[in-house]
Amino acid sequence: MKTLDDLRDFYNNSLTADLNALEARRKSLLSKILCVGAAIAVLALIALLVATQNMGVFFPAVIFPIAIAAAIFGVIIHFSSKGYVREFKTRIIGQIITFIDANLRYDPHRCIPRSTFVASDIFKTKPNRYKGDDYVSGKVGATQVRFSELKAEYESGSGKNRSCRTVFKGLFFIADFNKHFTCKTIILPDTAEKLFGGFGKLFQSWNIARDELIKLEDPEFERYFVVYGNDQVQARYILSTSLMARIVDFRRKTNRQIYLSFIGSNVFVAVPYRKNLFEPKLFSTILNFDLVREYFEDLRLAIGIVDDLNLNTRIWTKQ
Amino acid sequence: MPYVIIILAVVLLIPVLIYNALIAKKNQVLNVFATIDVMLKKRYDLIPNLISTVKGYMQHERDLLTRITEMRAKALSDRTSDDDKVDLDGKVTKTLNNIMLAVENYPDLKASQNFLHLQRAMVEIEEQISAARRAYNASVTDYNNAVEMFPTNIIASMMNYKRRRFFEIPKEQRQNVDAGRAFNN
Repeated sequence: MKTLDDLRDFYNNSLTADLNALEARRKSLLSKILCVGAAIAVLALIALLVATQNMGVFFPAVIFPIAIAAAIFGVIIHFSSKGYVREFKTRIIGQIITFIDANLRYDPHRCIPRSTFVASDIFKTKPNRYKGDDYVSGKVGATQVRFSELKAEYESGSGKNRSCRTVFKGLFFIADFNKHFTCKTIILPDTAEKLFGGFGKLFQSWNIARDELIKLEDPEFERYFVVYGNDQVQARYILSTSLMARIVDFRRKTNRQIYLSFIGSNVFVAVPYRKNLFEPKLFSTILNFDLVREYFEDLRLAIGIVDDLNLNTRIWTKQ
Repeated sequence: MPYVIIILAVVLLIPVLIYNALIAKKNQVLNVFATIDVMLKKRYDLIPNLISTVKGYMQHERDLLTRITEMRAKALSDRTSDDDKVDLDGKVTKTLNNIMLAVENYPDLKASQNFLHLQRAMVEIEEQISAARRAYNASVTDYNNAVEMFPTNIIASMMNYKRRRFFEIPKEQRQNVDAGRAFNN
């Protein structure tokens, strides 16, 4: 796996030229956007004055022109920066991915399909609003992997009762697991046990939405996770003592809630993120090593799962 | 009056629930033990393959091969009790490890496709057996807790349920499978 020093060399030798070209494009785009923004602000001010003159200073007369102007400005930023975002992703993010592993392919517009997300069975709520981008696929060593950023939401009600709940937002990773198995095993962050201790375990065993509770012998692992599955023995075949320790290490390293599932010889890993991943900056410079480092570390976290979970060790009959 | 009936029903229901839970736990233990048995059989099925692959090369370790054949025959015989099977399993594991170590002395054998395939199958079955043992120990823990803890212990002693023994994991298997050592590439 590439280190930060390697990244620094790569940044200085290969990436700077592209970043400079894109920085020029960003600046010209930004000045255009700011001009349009100023024009919109002037128009909004005029509208504001006219409205307050005719209707007096009351809430809608003040808020409407400002809200409409802000919305228009948002739409303009979105559409005018599309080309820049696309170019940034294919040139910069694409290059960083190839730098980490030349066997990986990058497609900024695709994502892990909804059916796969649902099939992973990590989240019980089926999302009805689903989007994603930054799809990466290929082979890391002997292991086939793919991952992308996802945002899955569940929308219910309509009109005033409409509400939208985020099912999952973050990185969704799938890899071919190194052992054969036919069972289903789901690993979720442990919340009940943290809150209720021993009673939490009892509540977990009553979870009717899930299969049987699988109690594992690693106390560290049990503190972080709860495991459900439909085969007690195979679940332990998958979750060998060393894999449990590796999952705990991965959880500590990322310091995020981790969701995993093992279904159909694949391992699914969901890592929630608040921020939008792999998006370029528009209002501040992109000639910044820390920015590139952030992309690199997010990508390395995903690609590194193969090493973290030791998926390239193919000593079992699956090759 | 209805309160009395409700209270009576609950008082009657609790022992029934405990009784059923105890039976479920006992059956879980038996069920997983059966799985270990299946896994052990799978491993015994591999032994003739192993012997036919290595015997052409291994001239000095004839007695190891004879010993393991005998153990296999004994383990598969119907007259062997469950406890003996557990004992035999430990011995078989030890002998198999010795054979695998002896292979180190025969580079041709070590590199042969047949042996490599067999080795993978062995590593896999060893890990499956270890998973089954862990599952067995987990269900025994569950069962033992129910047998010893209040209030389930009252019903358990009435049912004459006793603590069960854990499946001891042989010392040499307590460490994780080490890929580097297994293949020694």
